[in-house]
Amino acid sequence: MDLEFYEELKALVGQEGTPGVAVDEVCKPMIRHWCEAMQDGNPLYTDEEYARKSKYGGIIAPPTMLLTWTMPPLWPPRQEPPHPFEQFLEKLDKAGFYGIIVTNVAQKYYRPVFPGDRITFTYKVTDVSPEKKTSLGNGHFVTTAFTFTNQKGETVGTQSFTVLKYRFGA
Amino acid sequence: MAWKPLYWEDVEEGQELPTATLDVTTTTVIAGAIASRDFNPLHHDSGYAQKVGQKDIFMNNATICGLSGKYLTDWTGPEGELKEISFRIGTPCFPGDTMKMTGKVVKKYTEGDQHLVDVEYEFNVPQGRNCGGRGTIALPARGR
Repeated sequence: MDLEFYEELKALVGQEGTPGVAVDEVCKPMIRHWCEAMQDGNPLYTDEEYARKSKYGGIIAPPTMLLTWTMPPLWPPRQEPPHPFEQFLEKLDKAGFYGIIVTNVAQKYYRPVFPGDRITFTYKVTDVSPEKKTSLGNGHFVTTAFTFTNQKGETVGTQSFTVLKYRFGA
Repeated sequence: MAWKPLYWEDVEEGQELPTATLDVTTTTVIAGAIASRDFNPLHHDSGYAQKVGQKDIFMNNATICGLSGKYLTDWTGPEGELKEISFRIGTPCFPGDTMKMTGKVVKKYTEGDQHLVDVEYEFNVPQGRNCGGRGTIALPARGR
């Protein structure tokens, strides 16, 4: 393992970029498309009448959709400067760790998310492992923590996310 | 469809969740990726996936997450409130795989006025374990 390179990676841990704002507000069509893909018949997500009579008073988004609201647009490219996490990935790419695979996901849900909500998110890299041998190739595990907030400033949930950035067959 | 609530009192530690299966197709994988706005070609471009050493495109993490939520609330019904889900991804899930979903209640407890259960669950595909996870769900309690 290149110790100097590992030190460079570690220096980026904990840096928080500027908060991101979801490109779309939470909406029923995206919720329904999700339920269609997951084959999720939970009536709180798609049945207006059931949801209205529930304690939520209306449709809510599947809590597991948290990250989806914050995914970047395919087009047009975003103008913001690259987030420390992207710098992290770029640095690993340049060092030959092109492969990427998600290994761990952990989400916590604090408040329901409703159609019309606009989700803001902050995230930072919280951990990077030394280079490790894996079945895919040698690589670094990179863990990122996200916090999701609604337009009222309330935290609706968090996610931690670990990816393996690896060198093919090495 | 009428939903029958699952009450906290009616759940026991060690209780198994009903087993569910999902026949995963190319469409399942791509629909899940696009519904979660994950445009990484690993989840829709088999040529690309093969070039980087995978057998085919495979299910993305957000779909595994969505299926985890679905598996848990299919069991509890809509009154079961997801509090937390965490999972580790093992072997990928490819088109053509039948995914078998199993789970077990490992803890039943209260926290403040919440009636909670922790479930450990697994999604298995023919080549091994795709996902091993744990979920925390708040359930309705009788007479409250």
